[in-house]
Amino acid sequence: MNDNELHMWLEKAAIGDESAFQLVYQATHQDVYRTVAFLIYNKQDIEDIVNEVYMRMWRSFHTYDPNRPFRFWLHGITVRLVQDWKRKAWRRIRLFERNRQLTSEHCDWTDKAVLQSEMQHDLFGLVRQLSYKLRVVVILRYFHDYALEEIADILQIPVGTVKSRHHLALKELRKQFGMTGGDAYVN
Amino acid sequence: MSIDEELRYELRQAAESMHCPPHLDERVRQSYQHYLNEKRGKSPMKKRLIAGVIAVAILIPSAVFASSYLADDIFGSSEAIEQRGGSQEAYQEIEGMLQTAKAKLTEVEFKEFKESFKQLMQLKLKITDENGIKHEEKLTEEEQRQWRELGSKLAPYFEKIQGNEKQ
Repeated sequence: MNDNELHMWLEKAAIGDESAFQLVYQATHQDVYRTVAFLIYNKQDIEDIVNEVYMRMWRSFHTYDPNRPFRFWLHGITVRLVQDWKRKAWRRIRLFERNRQLTSEHCDWTDKAVLQSEMQHDLFGLVRQLSYKLRVVVILRYFHDYALEEIADILQIPVGTVKSRHHLALKELRKQFGMTGGDAYVN
Repeated sequence: MSIDEELRYELRQAAESMHCPPHLDERVRQSYQHYLNEKRGKSPMKKRLIAGVIAVAILIPSAVFASSYLADDIFGSSEAIEQRGGSQEAYQEIEGMLQTAKAKLTEVEFKEFKESFKQLMQLKLKITDENGIKHEEKLTEEEQRQWRELGSKLAPYFEKIQGNEKQ
């Protein structure tokens, strides 16, 4: 499904076409889920945010500029919601609910690859240990292949800041990765 | 492999193993339904919310005025005493005394004080003509007894209010 088609389906979904909603969801949900899951680690939080992303999609459909890639708009919404989530107080409201679940579910992350990575301290495991500010740059740069200027646009911060975070993140990864026995990378 | 390529590869690998849980599909679909209902104005929640907001908007001003003048609780409004020779200043003075009482007495005490004071003031309004002259003979025997009772009931409170004021 290309951008034009997506735009058309999204428009239909926004005005109430349920089959259009299904199409948009099927075309985008794995990407949205994975983006959020790279940035937030609590399974319940991830699901809440993914749900919010779709709510925001219908509601702010009118802010989409068809001249830019659809996924750029989508990733902008996703990252902003993740950031809102980290900042906002409405998270606390759900603490009660979550505490109840935590008592019955100690490990909420079940994806095998993630567990393995963390145990093996491989490169992905190290990415997960980066601070959020560095990690979000790495994910947008290497998972979504955005240019640093585009990342600055999505995160609404200066390009210089993105450059320095990118640099710091790679420096950190090289240092850690070298120490845990990986190949020494010289750039 | 450079670290750039390594990162791309690792992240893609990791992403392959992450799957949006199927129950989330249903949740997002329900949210979408909710969005549609809201958009069509069918949501009872939204209507209730609007009604609530309007009710609060109406209640707030009246609540603010009601609480700003304790004396209004006693007399209704300053007009009640102005018709009987009282002045706006006298009304403000009573208001000031009530505010002091509220601050100095406990909540239970103040409630009782206000109730008795209100009864006393109603009797007082009854015997006072439009020139501010009192005619105690207008009271029935029952009312006169009530008058004395209220006076002795209120005396300790007045002492407390005024006594504390001097300190």
